[in-house]
Amino acid sequence: MARIAVIDDDTDILDASSLILKSRGFEVVTANNPDDGYRIVKETQPDLIILDVIMNEPDDGFVLAQKFRKEGVATPILMYTSISRALGIEFSKGIMAPVDEFVEKPISPDELVSKVEKLLAKAKEK
Amino acid sequence: MQTQDEPRILIIDDEETLRAAVKRILENEGFIVQAAANGTEGISFALKSDFDLALIDLKMPDINGIEVLREIRRKKPYTICYIATAYASYDTAIEATKLGADGYILKPFSPEELVSQLRKGLERRKLLLETERLRKEREESLLEVAFERTRLKTIINSIRDGVIVVNREGESVYCNQAALKLLNISFLPIGIPIIEHFPSEIVSLVETNFLGKESQTNSFTIELNTNPDPDKFIEATISPVPQSDNKLAGIVIVLRNITEFKKLEMAKSQFVSMVAHELKAPIAATIGFLDILTKPEIKVDDAQRMDFLKRSHFRLDSLLLMINDLLDISRMEMNKEAKEIKEISFEDILADILLLLKIDIDKKKIQVTFKNSAKKTVIRADQNEIHRLLLNLLSNAVKYNKENGTISIGLSDDVTFIILRVEDTGIGMKPDEHKRLFAEFFRAKNDKTKNIHGTGLGLSIVKRIVDSYNGKIECVSKYGEGSTFTLYFPKINNYKG
Repeated sequence: MARIAVIDDDTDILDASSLILKSRGFEVVTANNPDDGYRIVKETQPDLIILDVIMNEPDDGFVLAQKFRKEGVATPILMYTSISRALGIEFSKGIMAPVDEFVEKPISPDELVSKVEKLLAKAKEK
Repeated sequence: MQTQDEPRILIIDDEETLRAAVKRILENEGFIVQAAANGTEGISFALKSDFDLALIDLKMPDINGIEVLREIRRKKPYTICYIATAYASYDTAIEATKLGADGYILKPFSPEELVSQLRKGLERRKLLLETERLRKEREESLLEVAFERTRLKTIINSIRDGVIVVNREGESVYCNQAALKLLNISFLPIGIPIIEHFPSEIVSLVETNFLGKESQTNSFTIELNTNPDPDKFIEATISPVPQSDNKLAGIVIVLRNITEFKKLEMAKSQFVSMVAHELKAPIAATIGFLDILTKPEIKVDDAQRMDFLKRSHFRLDSLLLMINDLLDISRMEMNKEAKEIKEISFEDILADILLLLKIDIDKKKIQVTFKNSAKKTVIRADQNEIHRLLLNLLSNAVKYNKENGTISIGLSDDVTFIILRVEDTGIGMKPDEHKRLFAEFFRAKNDKTKNIHGTGLGLSIVKRIVDSYNGKIECVSKYGEGSTFTLYFPKINNYKG
């Protein structure tokens, strides 16, 4: 079964997400800050990365995603967003951030799982 | 000058009979007549008051009539002077007029001839006075115009908004100092097309809406991006200057620096999105847990269920605290002037707070020491604000402290300040956390803080209160060892109450 890395500074979101994913049989690794997130991705080579946009800094998620891509990490990235509407930003995949999908908080388990499965299936095709 | 309606005539003649006869004739005509028997007397009369007309005999024993004429002319330029002469010849008449006489009368003369000549002279006097009045008026209005221009120029040059006047051909006609500064140019040559010096947004707006147009009544306002300074925002208002027939005479461009306003606007929307993010986070976490608990396909055991419910509760408590803090901040922002100022004892409030925190202090088995060396701790301030300030400061010292830790409180004063020092043995801060200590919504996020309630607004509220009384607050901190906050609260402030 696929391995998913979840990186979010909100440990409640981290625990809820990982429980949802585990209940579907995924293997989950977590980190609650960008540095640990970077480390677990390098160490565990997940099939999918879930990244929160805002951690300590409002753009920590973007910065980390860019870092992965720059270093040749091609793993699909799903990004958690929360205030894109308040900022008036229409996130467009690939342009604003090198990520493959967005999920707006609060996270609906069904939406999360369906988007995760779609990304994994797409990655398998390649 | 002449206040009476009756013409005033001065006769200067050494022949007594003639003097008397002329006086009688003229008085019959309703003139006011004064007579002088010689030149000296004549000059003295003429200068003493203001005659409409002087009739001067050419040949007098003391001073020649021409001399008398010259003297009166010099001092009284608007008194009409007639020369009377019995030895008349064409030459003397010419000479007299050359020297400034307004006319001459040949002796002997008939009363009718005299009166008619003098009336002509009086008409001339009226004309002279009228001309003089007009000249003075014109001079005054010219002065006024000149004064007005200088004044306008001074005003326009001293205002902070940029003012530029452009003619119908699109050439600059005038611009003040502020305009140069706002456009980042050192000088603007008059009479060159503005396209060469102006931001393209203005130029295209002027070209589209003004140049080549017979008339234009609308004003246009645009915001400019000024290079090379991208953080400078300028608002340009371009208005038509109409002629008296409403045709377009030119354009006036007013430039205003709206950078500060823009910054404020940005800070405000940033704050709003930060608030949105902070309010949404606990809701998202709680909904996340509730989703899990209500989905039968996700298996959780009893211990997990209880953990998720407790964590949801904790997040909602935090949310409530944050909303209350936000309401406090908003109240402080709105009622800046509505402080309830009275004399309060800093020391008493401090004691109240320690009592309030006693349960938490005891729970963590924290040792509190309190040293008071202050001579006077009475201040004039809003009791609620000082209460809030000390509660936030001291509850942090408890919240972030370790079990069996200590809090040392020192209260002292000098001439200007009451000084409160709060030293804890808490988790302390890393240097990068320290920098953002007083920023809204900043909370050091790590394993040590994750189970501590906090809104990220407590110290920001402290700072707002301290600033509003012109006090200051400092913090020294070492990660893992503790933090020391030192508050300097002014003893005297300008608040009335």
